[in-house]
Amino acid sequence: MRCEPEIGKAARGRYTRAMAVAAVLYIGVVALGVTVIDRFAPPAWLTIVLALLPLAPAMIAVRAYLDYFRALDEFQRRVQTEALVVTLAVVTLGAFSYGFLEEWAGFPHVPLFWVFPAVMLTWTVAQIALRARYK
Amino acid sequence: MRNRLKVLRAERNWSQADLAQRLDVSRQSVNAIETGKYDPSLPLAFRIARVFGLGIEQIFSDETQAEQAAE
Repeated sequence: MRCEPEIGKAARGRYTRAMAVAAVLYIGVVALGVTVIDRFAPPAWLTIVLALLPLAPAMIAVRAYLDYFRALDEFQRRVQTEALVVTLAVVTLGAFSYGFLEEWAGFPHVPLFWVFPAVMLTWTVAQIALRARYK
Repeated sequence: MRNRLKVLRAERNWSQADLAQRLDVSRQSVNAIETGKYDPSLPLAFRIARVFGLGIEQIFSDETQAEQAAE
């Protein structure tokens, strides 16, 4: 008989490994970008390439998550889906509201790349809360 | 939806992990179904019925129907 909990563990292992690779790669490309831009004042086209390089590890992470999601059973998928809906709502409404605060109330500008950490943080909290709710 | 999963499992002396393995799902899924926090899909309900050697209606019951029957 196929043993889903074992498959779940294997999928989690593959996910963890892929995320570790993505994290190392991310640190590498960011360090490369910062170093090249700071020390060599590269032309605009190279700066754009360097700025887009962190997308590569992000795509690895997205692919790893999709593979992990597909290996989950129906209940676990439901938890993940609810967590993603909560994350989408919190982050988009947060960004939307803060945009008005910036424009109208003079709040300090927050760079767009903070959206990604905000998604990851909210998603983690949502997963913990939902798992506790279904316990 | 109500279910007799916990009773049926106890009769066979199976842990949640044992049942989860037989159903190809996680232990958390079995727990969520047992506690009524998650209603399984029809394919999973059929798998549960097969594992216990019973019909779906002998394991799951619609709450509204059960309440009406009690009245």
